[in-house]
Amino acid sequence: MMRRIVAVVLLGEPALTDPFGAVAAAAELAGSGRAEAILLARPEDAEAAAAQAAREGAAEITLVTDSGLSDPPQPEHWLELLAGLLAEDARGMLLLLPGGAVGEELAARLTMRLDAVPLGRCGRIVEDGARLIAHRAAYGGRAELVLETGAPRCIATMRRPAAPPKPAADPVIRRADLAIPFAADAPRPEVLPAAADRPKRVDAARIVVSGGRGMGGPEGFALLRELADMLGAATGASLPAVDAGWASVSQQVGQSGAFVAPDLYLAVGMSGTPQHLAGIAPHSRIAAINSDPEADIFRVAEVGLLAPWQEVLPRLIATLRDG
Amino acid sequence: MQVVVLLAGVVDPKWRLDRLGLRPGTELADESGLPRRLSPFDEAALETALKLRDADPAVRVTAVLPGDVGSDALLRGVAAFRPDRAFRFDTSGLAPWDPRAAVRLLGLAVGAACGCPDLVLMGREFGDCDDGVLPAALAEAQGWRFCGLAHAVAIADGRFVAHRIRGPREELLRLPPPALVSITNDRGNRLRHPLMKNVMLAKRGPVEVVTPQAGAIPRAVVARSLAVVPPPQRGAGACRILSGPVDAQVAELAAYLRARRQAAAP
Repeated sequence: MMRRIVAVVLLGEPALTDPFGAVAAAAELAGSGRAEAILLARPEDAEAAAAQAAREGAAEITLVTDSGLSDPPQPEHWLELLAGLLAEDARGMLLLLPGGAVGEELAARLTMRLDAVPLGRCGRIVEDGARLIAHRAAYGGRAELVLETGAPRCIATMRRPAAPPKPAADPVIRRADLAIPFAADAPRPEVLPAAADRPKRVDAARIVVSGGRGMGGPEGFALLRELADMLGAATGASLPAVDAGWASVSQQVGQSGAFVAPDLYLAVGMSGTPQHLAGIAPHSRIAAINSDPEADIFRVAEVGLLAPWQEVLPRLIATLRDG
Repeated sequence: MQVVVLLAGVVDPKWRLDRLGLRPGTELADESGLPRRLSPFDEAALETALKLRDADPAVRVTAVLPGDVGSDALLRGVAAFRPDRAFRFDTSGLAPWDPRAAVRLLGLAVGAACGCPDLVLMGREFGDCDDGVLPAALAEAQGWRFCGLAHAVAIADGRFVAHRIRGPREELLRLPPPALVSITNDRGNRLRHPLMKNVMLAKRGPVEVVTPQAGAIPRAVVARSLAVVPPPQRGAGACRILSGPVDAQVAELAAYLRARRQAAAP
């Protein structure tokens, strides 16, 4: 019997920028007519979400509503809902959760609740009979690890594939109304008030202006922020720049930071390590400003300006302001 | 208060990986000749543990480094920061690919550090082959409270107050013990420098090794291959390097940015 390929959609989760990405990944993996989607939602969001899941290629859709979900829902509550929904289901399954911190945490914790095998953040999964072959990055994105398992229940996270999904023509829609209580002793996060200077969210931006170790200090990042404001962009940073305190951890882009998929990624003072590039969608255009002609960033950039940022950024800001 | 910090170590990210693979006939990665160091996330977890002890002398920090004899130099480096105890949890001959097996081993490692930890700290990714599964899975397997990707932890009223940014929100999470918190890098948790005398003491001192009494750990995942891969190709693969005087280059880049801004407009 074939394994079910089931994607999870967490509607209303503020940390997710592409909640349906795993559905598109499941549809591509499973082929026509086989992908399933479980949509967790509050009742008022459910119907529109089902239509979207069908457009992403889900042939079977289970709409799970719980009026007890808070706004925004708590990750602990997502976990309880998924575990409650799937605990009694003994069928072979590959469960896909969306990429990003919330999906990855839920996937890991759910494997322990469901006695499943975690496959991690996969770039590609292939079915080989009853076995799964999972391809995922290792060594900071510098190597690829290929794993094989015959375990009946596996859980992974996947991002949206490059190819657009084929919509499901006539999806089967089931509904389940659950009332799984949120444990009284589960910790609830205290959300801090947003600071006035909180950086624009990097993982949802159409243009990202990003700085690396080559910026040399916080002064350069002040110019990057000014440039980003002029372009309607978010300001990103590499791990060394965040480590140095020139940018916030929320701005970190890379294998170990945010995954960004902008139309344009302007990399300033960045060498272009594989670890950093792993956090930029393959379809994103890259432009680079760097004084080192040997910098790897020029191997992947579309346009490059070979000069120190100190000479370029003030002029660039002035030119854009005048124009 | 018992704080256990689990450290993984990684192949030095600055070191170019020219070749990497599985040792023939095994599932073990051949990392010969590649230097190892603490990852930025290991360092952040260690610094967080040391800060908790700085703030409260009743905190006892135990640093645990799973690995084989090749990890002893790294452990000496950790010992130079003077945790109350540092030991290597011997995982010789064990491949790290199966997260469930790894979680079981890490549970044994924490158990060897102390019977009942109040707080376990780990980097947000545990070594070169984990992308964040292990901290969350270990917490769940052990029944500990969990907070992922915190950049600061403090103790208040017997609870651990973890500070994190998740999506658009900045959050505080108050966790009763026992808890596991995975730590991400941040300016506030950059690892301090050890005192030279402590570096020398750690170099001369013995390395404590704890061997797990695990028996056979069932495995559900095997590694088929491990290989260095080039970054994916982007665009046409040829960068147009601007030329001419800097002002002309800047003008051309500005025109390019304006065009992209217009194209990206909703």
